[in-house]
Amino acid sequence: MRLVSLTLRNYRNYARLTIELQPQLNLFLGQNAQGKTNLLEAIAILALSASPRSRREADLIGPAAPEASVEAVVDGAGRRLELALKVAHGSERTVKTIRVDGVARRAVDLPGEVQATLFWPEDLNLVKGGPEHRRRFLNEMLVQVVKGYGRTLASYRRVLEQRNSLLKRIAGGLEGRGSLPVWDEELAALGSRLVEARAGAVSQLAPLAAANHGAIAAGEPLEIEYSGPPAPLGPALAASLEEDLRRGSTGVGPHRDDLSIRIAGSEARSFASQGQQRTAVVSLKLAESDLIEARCGERPILLLDDVLSELDAPRREALLARVGEGGQVVVTSVEAEPFPAALLERATVRCISGGRVEPCG
Amino acid sequence: MQLPEPLERLIGELSRLPGVGPKTAQRLAFHFLRADRERAERLSEALLDLKARIDETLICVVEAPLDVLAIERTAEYRGLFHVLHGVLSPIDNVGAEEIHIPELLDRLAGGEVREVIVATNPDIEGEATAAYLQRVISPLGVQVTRPAHGLPFGGDLEYADELTLARAMSRRQVL
Ligand SMILES: Nc1ncnc2c1ncn2[C@@H]1O[C@H](COP(=O)(O)OP(=O)(O)OP(=O)(O)O)[C@@H](O)[C@H]1O
Ligand SMILES: [Mg+2]
Repeated sequence: MRLVSLTLRNYRNYARLTIELQPQLNLFLGQNAQGKTNLLEAIAILALSASPRSRREADLIGPAAPEASVEAVVDGAGRRLELALKVAHGSERTVKTIRVDGVARRAVDLPGEVQATLFWPEDLNLVKGGPEHRRRFLNEMLVQVVKGYGRTLASYRRVLEQRNSLLKRIAGGLEGRGSLPVWDEELAALGSRLVEARAGAVSQLAPLAAANHGAIAAGEPLEIEYSGPPAPLGPALAASLEEDLRRGSTGVGPHRDDLSIRIAGSEARSFASQGQQRTAVVSLKLAESDLIEARCGERPILLLDDVLSELDAPRREALLARVGEGGQVVVTSVEAEPFPAALLERATVRCISGGRVEPCG
Repeated sequence: MQLPEPLERLIGELSRLPGVGPKTAQRLAFHFLRADRERAERLSEALLDLKARIDETLICVVEAPLDVLAIERTAEYRGLFHVLHGVLSPIDNVGAEEIHIPELLDRLAGGEVREVIVATNPDIEGEATAAYLQRVISPLGVQVTRPAHGLPFGGDLEYADELTLARAMSRRQVL
C-alpha cells in the first residue's frame, strides 16, 4: 500500500498543498502548530473515512472557503486508485462526499481502500485511558480489514440510540414495551457481529503484540485479551432490562467492550511503569500494522506523528527497525535529531511551516 | 313529494359516499336523471372495473404518500394501500401509537385482508417497523410479507453494494 500523492485544499491550516510521496520513508520536520499532525490526519482520514482526531467534521474546513478537500493517488494490490473526500458546510449539517476513481461512495464503504496505521502521542491513552480508547483502537483497525464492519458499527450505534430512547419512553410511561423486542433482536444481531469480528481480531493481535513487546523489553510478557459482553447477547439484553429501564440506557453489549492489557501478569493501566506502558503501546501499534498486513497481504502505510521523541532508545529502535523494513512510512518530528544518519540518507526530508511544505534549510 | 323508487335508491347510495350530504346526493342524482344513457353506463362500468381490478384482500403498508405513487407507477400491484405517515423511531419520540398502526389494525379487524405487504424503507427504522408489524399482525392470522431486496435491474454485479448483494444471494430464488 503506497500513497503516491496527496492534495489538500482549504483543509485545516493548509490553503493548498500538493505533495508527492516516495515509496519508503517520508520525513516532515516542523515546529509546533505548523501542520504536522494535520498532514498525517489527512492521510488517516482517507483510511478511516473520518478524522481520528475530531468528531466534528466541520473542524477540518479552513478559513478560506466553505469546503475542505483531501485527494490522493494510491497504489495498492496492483492497482492505482484516485480518492477524493470533501467536507462542506451545508445549510443544516456538514456534508461529506467521497469518490473513488470518480464514483461516489458512501462514507461507511470507503475504509479498506487504503490501509494505514497511525501512531501519535494520543495513543498513550491506549493503556492509560478509559475503555473507549481501546474500543476506538479496535474499530479503527477493523473497519480497514473486515468488509462491512463500518456499516455494522454505524447500524449498531443507531439501534442502540433508538433502544436507549425507547427505555426512557417506557420508563416515562409514554409507551408500552410492545416494540422493545424488535430493537433488542436487531441490537443483538448487530452486536454479535461486532463481537465476532473483535474477538477474532484480538486473538490474532495478541501473539503479534506479545512478540513485539518481548523483542523490545527483553522477553517481558504482554497479554492482550478481549473482554466482551456475555454470550449470547440476546438473553443478556433481556436479563438486564429492568436495570436498563431504571438507568435509561443499555448496560450490556459491545459498546461496553474493553481490552485487558497485562504486563508480566498485572493490569498495565494501574500497575505498569510509564516506560512499560509506552512499550505496550508501541507493541500494540506495531501489532496492528502486522495484522493489517496479514489480512490484506499488504503492509499498511505507517503514520508516525512525533512519537519518536517520546520514546527511549530501545523503543525508538524497535520502531525504526520497522521503518527500515520496506513499507511506506510517513513520519513527523520537531527535530531530525532522533533519526540515525543511515535512515535520514534514505528518507525524503521536507519541512512544514505555516501550512506549507518546502525543502528544509 | 314522492320520488320514483330508482331515484330514491340512487340518492341513498350517493349520500353514503364520503363528503356527500343529502343535498349534493340529490343534485348528482338529478344530474344523472337528465344525462343520456351512455353517461350512466360509462360511470357504472368504471365502478365495476375498479372493483374487478382491485384486490381487497391485500394491503401494502408504506411510510409516506409519495411511496403510494411510486408503487402505483409500476402498475404491478392491485391491492389496497395503507400509509403509516412515519416509522418507529423512539429518538424522535415516535412509537406505534404516533403513526397509523392502530388504524391499520382496525382495517385488518374486518377479516377480509389476507396479506399485508410491509414496504417500509430498507433502513434501520423501516426494518424495525416491519419487524414490529410482523409481530402484531401475524397473530391475527394475516400473512405479513416484505418486498424482495435484490440487485437493481440493469445494474452491474461488480458495483452492487455489499449489503444488497449479500441479501440478494441469501434470498435467492429457484429458476
Ligand atoms: N480548520 C482549521 N482552519 C485553520 N487552521 C486550523 C484548523 N484546524 C486546525 N488549525 C490549525 O492548524 C495548526 C497546526 O496544527 P497541527 O496539529 O497540525 O500542528 P503540529 O505541527 O502537529 O504541532 P505540534 O508539534 O504542536 O503537535 C494549529 O495552529 C491549528 O490552530
Ligand atoms: Mg502535532
